[in-house]
Amino acid sequence: MKKFVFILLVGLLSVFAFSQVKNPDMIFDATLSEPDTLDPHHAYDTASGEVIFNVYDNLIAYDGGSMTDFIPMLSTVVPSVENGYLRDDGTTYVFPIRKGVKFHNGNDLTPEDVEYTFERGILYDPAAGPMWMLIEPIFGAFTVRDLVEEYVGASWDKIFDSKMNPTSKEYETALVNFYYDVIDPAIEVVGDEVHIHLVRPYAPFLNIICNGGGWGAIIDKEYSIQIGLWDGKAEGWWKYHGWTKEQSPLFDHAMGTGPYKLVEWDHAQQRIVLERFDGYWKGPAAIKTVVIQGIDEWSTRRAMLEKGDADIIAAPVQYLDVLKSMQGVTVIEGLPTVQITSLGFNWEIKPESPYIGSGQLDGNGIPTDFFEDENVRLGFAYAFDYEGMIDEILNGLGIHVPTALPEGFLGFDASLPKYTLDLEKAENYFRRAYRGRLWQQGFKMDVLYNIGNEERRVAAEILRDNLAKINPKFQVEVRGVQWPTYLDARENMILPVYIIGWLADFPDPHNFIFTYYHSQGDYGHYYGTKFVEFATLPRPEFGGKSLNKMIEDASLETDPYKREQMYVDIQKFVIDYALTLPLYQPLAIRVHRDWLKGYVYNPIWPGDYYYLYSK
Amino acid sequence: MTTYIIRRLLLLPLIILGVTLIVFSMSQLLGPLKLLSTYVDPNTYAKMSERDIQILMKQYGLTDPFPVRYGKWVKNLLKGDLGWSVVGKEPVLDALIHRFPYTIELALYALFPIIGVGIWLGVTAAVHHNSFIDQFIRIFALIGWSLPDFVWAILVLLIFYIGLGWFPPGNLSIWANQIVKSASFKNYTHLLTIDALLNGRIDIFWDALRHIIGPVIAISWLWWANLLRITRSSMLEVLRKDYVRTARSKGLPEKVVINKHARKNALIPVVTTAGQMVIGLLTGVVIVEMVFVRTGLGSFAATAAQQLDYASIMGVLLFTSLLLIIGNLIIDISYAIIDPRIRLG
Repeated sequence: MKKFVFILLVGLLSVFAFSQVKNPDMIFDATLSEPDTLDPHHAYDTASGEVIFNVYDNLIAYDGGSMTDFIPMLSTVVPSVENGYLRDDGTTYVFPIRKGVKFHNGNDLTPEDVEYTFERGILYDPAAGPMWMLIEPIFGAFTVRDLVEEYVGASWDKIFDSKMNPTSKEYETALVNFYYDVIDPAIEVVGDEVHIHLVRPYAPFLNIICNGGGWGAIIDKEYSIQIGLWDGKAEGWWKYHGWTKEQSPLFDHAMGTGPYKLVEWDHAQQRIVLERFDGYWKGPAAIKTVVIQGIDEWSTRRAMLEKGDADIIAAPVQYLDVLKSMQGVTVIEGLPTVQITSLGFNWEIKPESPYIGSGQLDGNGIPTDFFEDENVRLGFAYAFDYEGMIDEILNGLGIHVPTALPEGFLGFDASLPKYTLDLEKAENYFRRAYRGRLWQQGFKMDVLYNIGNEERRVAAEILRDNLAKINPKFQVEVRGVQWPTYLDARENMILPVYIIGWLADFPDPHNFIFTYYHSQGDYGHYYGTKFVEFATLPRPEFGGKSLNKMIEDASLETDPYKREQMYVDIQKFVIDYALTLPLYQPLAIRVHRDWLKGYVYNPIWPGDYYYLYSK
Repeated sequence: MTTYIIRRLLLLPLIILGVTLIVFSMSQLLGPLKLLSTYVDPNTYAKMSERDIQILMKQYGLTDPFPVRYGKWVKNLLKGDLGWSVVGKEPVLDALIHRFPYTIELALYALFPIIGVGIWLGVTAAVHHNSFIDQFIRIFALIGWSLPDFVWAILVLLIFYIGLGWFPPGNLSIWANQIVKSASFKNYTHLLTIDALLNGRIDIFWDALRHIIGPVIAISWLWWANLLRITRSSMLEVLRKDYVRTARSKGLPEKVVINKHARKNALIPVVTTAGQMVIGLLTGVVIVEMVFVRTGLGSFAATAAQQLDYASIMGVLLFTSLLLIIGNLIIDISYAIIDPRIRLG
């Protein structure tokens, strides 16, 4: 109704609309949300990332829209074996630090700033933050807590009291030594260079530090200490660990070397104002002021675009036709994203789940290990209409992919077999499941989606309808719940299947393959202990290695050709066993005024890089 | 009267405490995991480990039993600490302080046209009962009453912003905002138009005014419709009373009968409605605020409710309860002033 009324009104009033270049020295980006935090070591969302991306610089950067080619930034070299800056069998990365670079406050960039940045991020390591991406390759653990517990030989709760004070002098000494023995040697200043030592070769490392949305951003040591961040000393480092985002002084402050300075974050108006940094080492940006404002109402964003007050807007795909008909507006369709929407199976549903009916294979429910049976999984795989979903529901803005690895990533192979809608094939698999009992008895279960996500609702309904076509005794009820309820249910292992998306942290296959198919992956560990058994079993397909081991080895392989083949082998395996159903890789749209020049799209960037723009 | 006011004021903290207890209890029914989701970006939440969840629950005090948490909330409240607003990205008290001036300013500008024109239209319709004027006003009210607020708000935006270019959304233009945020501009009241005048900046006053007229128009028609209907029916009822007939039969001019005898007596139900309107305006006008990007209390409360940001919800609730209770007290006192037959106490 709302959409219809709006389109009608726009049509009636379009005669009034006119456009002329407005505010030539300013870009207004009307977006959907405001940042979560501006602390680069806590930010994990794209709204925060976009601001950080424009205010800070990294050691290296992606070359324009490429996700595989790097260019130097604050480091004058992109380390590689060939240029001698990647040493010790791929475990030492050497970054010569650029001279003559200034922070926004006029301070000079030094190698000590770089060392401080990484050490501060690692020691801070907030819960649900992004620092695991650096801790994993450098130390071989996921959190600094794990490292401390291993080093000290006691649990975190035993080492610290509730106020984060060490419970004994002995622990305090050990914590100080932890810094000297573990953290400090990993990141070293050697002359004008910074050396980062990894625990073992790790292929995605450059991709991780290249990410402009936070964890690779270089901060000013002097300024940081001045505003209350870690003081750079071994003694008492733990007082600066794990703050909540609002406790960090960098929550709404920023001091980088990037092309724009943070002028204001107006929380009430959800508005960020950036101003050109005239002392930027690459030369000042063309546009003086950038305003990024969260405007929740679509009609308002659209009106501001039409009027020329907004140069860029966040636009829902359902309004594509309206936008394309607007004069003076550029609409780019079909931009690849680095995310996958998939359907995951729970191999070990908790018996108390309210979504599995009787919990038995009696036609009124499903047993808790229902999805351990590969015939059931394959039956589901061929009961979903992948192409129909993309064409009809996503308006063509999706890619049918073979596995949960997006197109554009190393190891992606479009020639791998894809599941397609094939009810006959699905029936054959279902008939084989449970030695024919499933076909005779039927089943009943619920498929949940998070309310507001229409794509997921429709995906669940497509599955429901097709299953009922295969056998009327296959009954699926589609139920909408709030997002937290949905995630709680997944956390408690009571969802039989779950439709969920994954947005890349860094553009490397490890970030998807490990997530989905390793039994310790972010999604893999929700498949249950029966999946752990499956994933650790030696497999002839991998020359006797388990699936888990194969995934781990692929992340260590530094030869890209060998690595690519390993990922292809892993994908063949997961397709055969239908470990997840990759429903689609979404494609994005981009909408801005014609007068905005210099737009470059890189799927892994958190947002716009305004330095490239002019009007 | 004084005793009545004192008694009502003394009851105020108790009522507020009761209301907060109910809402706090309701929010706790969601369970700690759901409440935790408020603090974490949805994409990140989906990626959190069990350990992360435990750490964050502890950090945000979500593992404490209900009475402990409510006790902490009340204790902090007494210190002026209403907690952290996740949607506001600042302490709740600051979030309220930063947003309320936008709401007050909009309410101030909307109030006079709404009440003045609403009552005038209602009285006019009643006086010209069943005439063309009455029918016209009734249709006018009917349309205003039945039109969904988002349609009307968007229509106003399209006509006056896209079509005519007069009234843009937002609080201020970017250039004006930069001046207002500069050290040279003094924020005496935090009401943009008034501060602009006090700073002698006519350009900023005009810019702020341009930004406020759109939402005022959008609100006014919807609320006129309500007020004029109440005024009209109340006026019609009063016009049929014996004392009005007596006044007319005494040969008093119609103007005197309407203004002196009828209108004042017809105002009692109008005062109730108008009072509620004032409270409604001060507690925020969600749709209009969202369409016109005026980040007042309404849009803040709506976003907080959507995201289960219970600290913000509690803050808004506390604030609006105060407004409601004080507003209703003022309405009750107004009754006594308008109609001396009503005695409070």
